[in-house]
Amino acid sequence: MWGSQAGFGSLVKGVPSFVIPSVPDPAAFLRLHTDDHADPSCKIKIQHGTTTLAFRYQGGVIVAVDSRATAGSYVASGTVKKVIEINPYLLGTMAGGAADCQYWETYLGVHCRLHELRNRERISVSAASKYLSNLVYSYKGMGLSMGTMICGWDKTGPALFYVDSDGTRLKGNIFSVGSGSTFAYGVLDQEYRWDLPDEEAQELARRSIYAAGHRDAFSGNTCNLYQVKEDGWQFIGNYDITKLHYDGPGEAPGNGYGYDIRVEGQTSTDLPATAGQA
Amino acid sequence: METSFALTGKGYVIVAADTTAARSIVKMKDDQDKIKELGSHLLMAYSGEPGPSNAYIIMPTQPTDPLLSFYSGDTIQFAEYVERNIRLYQIRHLYPLRPSAAASWIRRSLAVSLRSRNAFTVNLLIGGYDLADHKPTLYWIDYLGTVVEVPFAAHGYGSYFALSLLDRYHNPDATLEEGLATLKRCINEVSKRLVVSPDRYKVKVVDKDGVREVEL
Amino acid sequence: MSRSYDRALTVFSPDGHLFQVEYALEAVRKGTCAVGVRGKDVVILGVEKKSVLQLQDPRTVRKVVMLDDHICLAFAGLTADGRVLIDKARMECQSHRLTVEDPVTVEYITRHIAGIQQKYTQSGGVRPFGISTLIVGFDPHDTRPRLYQTEPSGIYSAWKANAIGRSSKTVREFLEKNHKDDMTREESIKLTVKSLLEVVQTGAKNIEISVMEGYGKITNLELSEIEAIVSEIEREKEAEAERKRTRLAATAARQAAMATRADAGQPSGQ
Repeated sequence: MWGSQAGFGSLVKGVPSFVIPSVPDPAAFLRLHTDDHADPSCKIKIQHGTTTLAFRYQGGVIVAVDSRATAGSYVASGTVKKVIEINPYLLGTMAGGAADCQYWETYLGVHCRLHELRNRERISVSAASKYLSNLVYSYKGMGLSMGTMICGWDKTGPALFYVDSDGTRLKGNIFSVGSGSTFAYGVLDQEYRWDLPDEEAQELARRSIYAAGHRDAFSGNTCNLYQVKEDGWQFIGNYDITKLHYDGPGEAPGNGYGYDIRVEGQTSTDLPATAGQA
Repeated sequence: METSFALTGKGYVIVAADTTAARSIVKMKDDQDKIKELGSHLLMAYSGEPGPSNAYIIMPTQPTDPLLSFYSGDTIQFAEYVERNIRLYQIRHLYPLRPSAAASWIRRSLAVSLRSRNAFTVNLLIGGYDLADHKPTLYWIDYLGTVVEVPFAAHGYGSYFALSLLDRYHNPDATLEEGLATLKRCINEVSKRLVVSPDRYKVKVVDKDGVREVEL
Repeated sequence: MSRSYDRALTVFSPDGHLFQVEYALEAVRKGTCAVGVRGKDVVILGVEKKSVLQLQDPRTVRKVVMLDDHICLAFAGLTADGRVLIDKARMECQSHRLTVEDPVTVEYITRHIAGIQQKYTQSGGVRPFGISTLIVGFDPHDTRPRLYQTEPSGIYSAWKANAIGRSSKTVREFLEKNHKDDMTREESIKLTVKSLLEVVQTGAKNIEISVMEGYGKITNLELSEIEAIVSEIEREKEAEAERKRTRLAATAARQAAMATRADAGQPSGQ
């Protein structure tokens, strides 16, 4: 099985299939052993604190994510790649089970390539996201945990879809997924507009991930930033969130995003005007 | 919370549904179209039911546990399945299903699914204009496979406010303007009294000329 | 267990033929003729319609069918086999819309149909479809007309113009002689009717023409329209024949005159 098929042996049979625990209720079984919220001593702790965001704008799609992996209250890693490079023009983001996202999005990549070979044209983002959505929908109730955004560029221009393990699939302009998503939305929604210039769009994404990294205990460490353009995606950079807090993204210090940094020297104290100054 | 309304009038059916797609406490989208145009003279509003197949899905990716998992994969999967089958019927037979036949077929699909391991939990409103007898018809279908032909209908929490209101104000021979005014009454009442009420609705009308979207 | 005696499998003959497939092609050759012609931004399907019996409802006999809003198919061969294959194709069209959220391309559905036909040459307990098909249409977001053909063997190919069914060889040769690139709608229709008239002796009432002029734009020509085209073609033929006759007469006259002159210049030896 593991060999030339590289774990995708099920492709040979045509219909996707995956081994599930051979118990009457696989979902309950999985939950019993993975739900650290209900049972802190459970054997398997699935990585699930995250902030990911993506938005569509005039110049393409911006994708930004944090890099923290937590298992329960333990920070398992600070350098996780939560953007999955499906192929040179499709990106997927990772929230929920890391393994689920990685496996199924790589699997999606295989099918995108097959589509390309069969039909002599690239798969549309809508078709790719629907493939993933139908796939995870067929496993509904069996314990998959994914919240992902499929981003790319096709004949219709920049495209963005939200797909999760409930089988929900939404087309949209702005999405944020994960435990820190509300914090990211809080910043993102304020300054988002369709005609953002590239620089400003990247800055907005960085600030939003910073905001979530700062406020959400399960998100943080660094921010990975990607941009999808007509000729495919490109990696913009990796930014340390602590550094963003104190110094900002550039080389020059003093542009920190942090509240304390931003308001340094300002005060709310409203002293009454001293006599003689009137 | 998901809400949909529909009412008949003189030669038309109005179907309205909210446009929010929510995941736990977050509104992911506020312009989702939840009314499918199944044919030239047939509309279907679909909304989710926090039923057995959704209730045990946990979403650890969201900040709080979901209150109720509305509008998940189920509803769209079912709606698209229906849409393609109704279209296939028309291509195969060269004429479309009449609204009553369509409603029966859809109800049956739901009833069959209900007796499977993973049932669709979808509530539907089907509005159609029957070109054969010039009759606007409206069917209320719930996720258990109940179908009723009604003059007006509602699903979701909105129904608790709207049904009594419609008992009082609905007229079978109302003009389109009057019908839309009655719909506005429903929407306003729900906005006024329901705790987390949707703020945007999509409204579609079907009459002898076919289906179209209207702005309220 | 019996191993093979109850299985009608399409098997090779010693010299490499699949007789069942070739017999299927024979069934196609017995079917009524269908013609497809691609113009500049139009594609035409023309079929030879069998005369219906006096009490038969002509609407129930169809040889040009829609697969989806933007794709049309005509077939030659066993009508009953055609119906089954068409149903499978229609299902696939809707299924494709459901899973990929795009309508099928003409090539895709052609490949699918050819795929089904091929499967029936290589499975146990089945016989090949006794039909060839012509598939026309427009791809989504595209203005180029498409024309494909499939055969019982599962072969498929793209064409500028082609014919299948009874006397298809004659018609194809006619098309080869007369097809031009970038024909207008009228030219394409006329060529289709003209080529069909090569095999249809009874004229307009046994011809059915479908015109596709863009994504989802299909019209079936009325009998009167086809009649007009047929009579126009007949007039042209008549005029052509007339010209030929006069030309022939002139040549004959010239030859006769020359002969008289030659006679005059030669003393008769009798």
